[in-house]
Amino acid sequence: MKIGLFIPCYINALYPQVGVASYKLLKSFGLDVDYPLDQTCCGQPMANAGFEDSARELAEAFDDRFEGYDYVVGPSASCVVFVKDHYDGLLKRKEHRCRTEEKIYDICEFIHDVVKPTSLKASFPHKVSIHNSCHGVRLLGLSSPSERNIPYFSKLRDLLSLVKDIEIVEPERPDECCGFGGMFSVEENAVSEEMGRSKVRLHMATGAEYITGADSSCLMHQDGIIRREHLPIKTIHIVEILASGL
Amino acid sequence: MMGSREEILERIRKNTKEVFEMPDLAPLEKSALRFDDPVEGFSASLAAAGGKAVRAYGDEEKVKDPVSPIVRDLYPDAKKIVSPLDWLSCRTASDEDFSSPEEMDGTDVAVVEGEFGVAENGAVWIVRIGRYRVLPFICEALVIVLDHRNIVDNMHQAYLRMGETPLSDGEGSGFATFISGPSKTADIEQALVFGAHGARSVTVVLV
Amino acid sequence: MSTRHSIAAAEFLKDKDKAHWHDETLWMVRSKRDRMSRSLPEWEDLRDAACAIKQYSNSHLAGLLEEFERNAVKNGAIVHWASDAQEYREIIYGILKEHGVRHFVKSKSMLAEECGLTPFLESKGIETVESDLGERIVQLMHVKPSHIVLPAVHIKREEVGKLFEKEMGTEPGNCDPTYLTHAARKNLRHIFIEADAAMTGANFAVASTGEAVVCTNEGNADICTSLHKLQITAFGLEKIVPDRRSLGVFTRLLARSGTGQPSTTYTTHYASPQKGGELHIIIVDNGRSRILAEKDHRKSLNCLRCGACMNTCPVYRRSGGYSYTYFIPGPIGINLSMLKDPQKYYDNVSACSLCMSCSNVCPAKVDLGEQIYLWRQTLDEIGKADKAKKLLSDSMDIVMEHPHLFNMAMKMAPAVNHLPHFLVYNHLNTWGSGREMPEFARHSFNNLWKSGKVEAGAMQDNILAEEHKTETDNRQKED
Repeated sequence: MKIGLFIPCYINALYPQVGVASYKLLKSFGLDVDYPLDQTCCGQPMANAGFEDSARELAEAFDDRFEGYDYVVGPSASCVVFVKDHYDGLLKRKEHRCRTEEKIYDICEFIHDVVKPTSLKASFPHKVSIHNSCHGVRLLGLSSPSERNIPYFSKLRDLLSLVKDIEIVEPERPDECCGFGGMFSVEENAVSEEMGRSKVRLHMATGAEYITGADSSCLMHQDGIIRREHLPIKTIHIVEILASGL
Repeated sequence: MMGSREEILERIRKNTKEVFEMPDLAPLEKSALRFDDPVEGFSASLAAAGGKAVRAYGDEEKVKDPVSPIVRDLYPDAKKIVSPLDWLSCRTASDEDFSSPEEMDGTDVAVVEGEFGVAENGAVWIVRIGRYRVLPFICEALVIVLDHRNIVDNMHQAYLRMGETPLSDGEGSGFATFISGPSKTADIEQALVFGAHGARSVTVVLV
Repeated sequence: MSTRHSIAAAEFLKDKDKAHWHDETLWMVRSKRDRMSRSLPEWEDLRDAACAIKQYSNSHLAGLLEEFERNAVKNGAIVHWASDAQEYREIIYGILKEHGVRHFVKSKSMLAEECGLTPFLESKGIETVESDLGERIVQLMHVKPSHIVLPAVHIKREEVGKLFEKEMGTEPGNCDPTYLTHAARKNLRHIFIEADAAMTGANFAVASTGEAVVCTNEGNADICTSLHKLQITAFGLEKIVPDRRSLGVFTRLLARSGTGQPSTTYTTHYASPQKGGELHIIIVDNGRSRILAEKDHRKSLNCLRCGACMNTCPVYRRSGGYSYTYFIPGPIGINLSMLKDPQKYYDNVSACSLCMSCSNVCPAKVDLGEQIYLWRQTLDEIGKADKAKKLLSDSMDIVMEHPHLFNMAMKMAPAVNHLPHFLVYNHLNTWGSGREMPEFARHSFNNLWKSGKVEAGAMQDNILAEEHKTETDNRQKED
């Protein structure tokens, strides 16, 4: 099983530690992991803002880059699901179908559904509040959307439950949007900030020390508010917790 | 009177590109919410909607008018009790006594019969209203007389029971309504208030 | 980078307490809806059924409308067809004029809002009174509804108290909702009796029986129409349902989704006029038949107008109904406005973080969020893409399409962390208005990988931690 590690652009530039943790975590399961060089962006920011055409070439390059791998795994639910849901449409002008959409996984989804570990070395003696990101929940199915009448499940909680000494909570309005939304965060900055402030307050109300989730973008947005307002809570990507004993 | 009928239908035909089949509703109807005790379920749903169910059955001997004592007990100050039910001894006026619906304003209690109740939402299907449709809406308090054996579980059963017979067929007045509890509104700051325009209280007497 | 929506939203958010209250109030309605949906194990099957029935009815509209008309006529109703808003208004005015109507009462109808009925009738000298409490409040305030089901949800009780004091002579300073509601009851009861004719919209029109179904909680529609011999009922043509059996599905979903009740208080079936009266039924197109041809957006016609997508929308809750430029706000409003006139209403498309909550609450499974995404793709083509946003997207695109540019940018970016505060946080940087900028890592993942540090493993955490600490220290010094 050959895994191509997909590191989204903003993680590459801002949160390389998330990439490092992802690599270590996958390697710790004895997997064959490689990082195809010179990755940039999946195209989601442009497409969500209304410029799918700009995303087309990026999608083609992405699809080619990961051609030789059995799985593409990345630490960002939102980017992964963009590839999954939109690449086939974006790559229409190519002769072949999109080859990535069937084999791309968010790293949590991959570990939960494919690797299925029964234990982890990790220990994280802190109280963490799960950030159920919109695309992770409602597009990728990492947990049960609060709107739906289906039995509760949470792949993030399942994985975190394997970590020693951790206390896991979820905020009220468990999957209310934090207000990032890519360019939404600047185009509608007043609403975006207000959504972010509400979300951070809800996480804080749980008494958690950390907000954790599968999307660095949501965490980045909330972290911007936390730092501006000097709030007593921190953000951390879930793979950093899962890889904490490595 | 037609207006742009043909144009509209033509546009619809032209723009309908893909045709979908009617789904089979039977599996959903079969699996829909049911109640072990429909009377209990109905009473609870009605209470949640702000109304009240009173049981007036089970007394061994058959009473001719089990409703009047309940109405007098619940509404001791009622002066104007209007009903199309001729066996109702507490009524002060029949619907036939009015020559316009406006005159019904000021009715303290209206008493009408319901056809059947729905356990999942406390609604009662009311068809026989009498001379003027306005009666169950314009009164201050509404009392609905309902045979306790006529309670269905859910709205699927309600509409299946009703069938597709037009309301204007036979004796029908071409008008009928489900009423679930008293009139209500939350238009001021989402604060629930009973008696917005229609009846301020609704009692269903189960016979 | 702003739209009329984002500007109005920023204005709305200036009154922090009221904005917070607005969000909480609507969230409460969403929570009630959640409780209701969880009380039915078959909830998701109901949604599937509602969607499938709508897909059926919307693809058999011509036949169903003809069937409805045949049955309505048999019931004794008079059926009219209106191609657009103007024809709708004129049909109604014609009926009222013929009967010499001076005082007219109506219950809540989004179609009447859509077609500008009340101002039109008022201009013709026909006094038109809204009978729904919320609608009456906004009518007396001379403002528009800010929500399709809860028209006055943005108005505080104190404002209603002041309004009723002036309009209905209520006690000064008394703003108790029960007191005010009952004052309106008394005031409107008088108006209902004095009126000459009444009108309602319809939630459903049943083809198999030719009857219109109206769902309300207050009973205003029923009192109004039952008091007068002349009754008008108008609905958009997508309100057609094949039969009563289908109503079993829709009536179970409507109030549970909209207000979190198992059903509305009144679900009234209107088939025939009162004895000696007239029932006019108006079937309105006004652009709906055109939507049938829009493959990507046709599902908008599934909409039951329950308002659930507004209550769940985090943007609607935090920006209020008036921040949208169309009379229907929220997710469904964004979509319907774009179907109406993209050149005029494109400003609403920004009001979405693509969280997709709306698509998951919708009882008839309108793919609201997905459609907004598609509308965004059309803005550039119609010349309405935001220029700054396009520039940002294009420049990102250029960098991202050339890995060496991206790598170079990442190498240079950490310098940004050391810029003086005033250069980073100025009015050009909307991100920075309420949030700190994320800090660029000294070494990108690409660089770490190339230098073999990732594979070498072990010590990386320490290296990164050390780096992060230095960056933060530097920033604090500059602050």
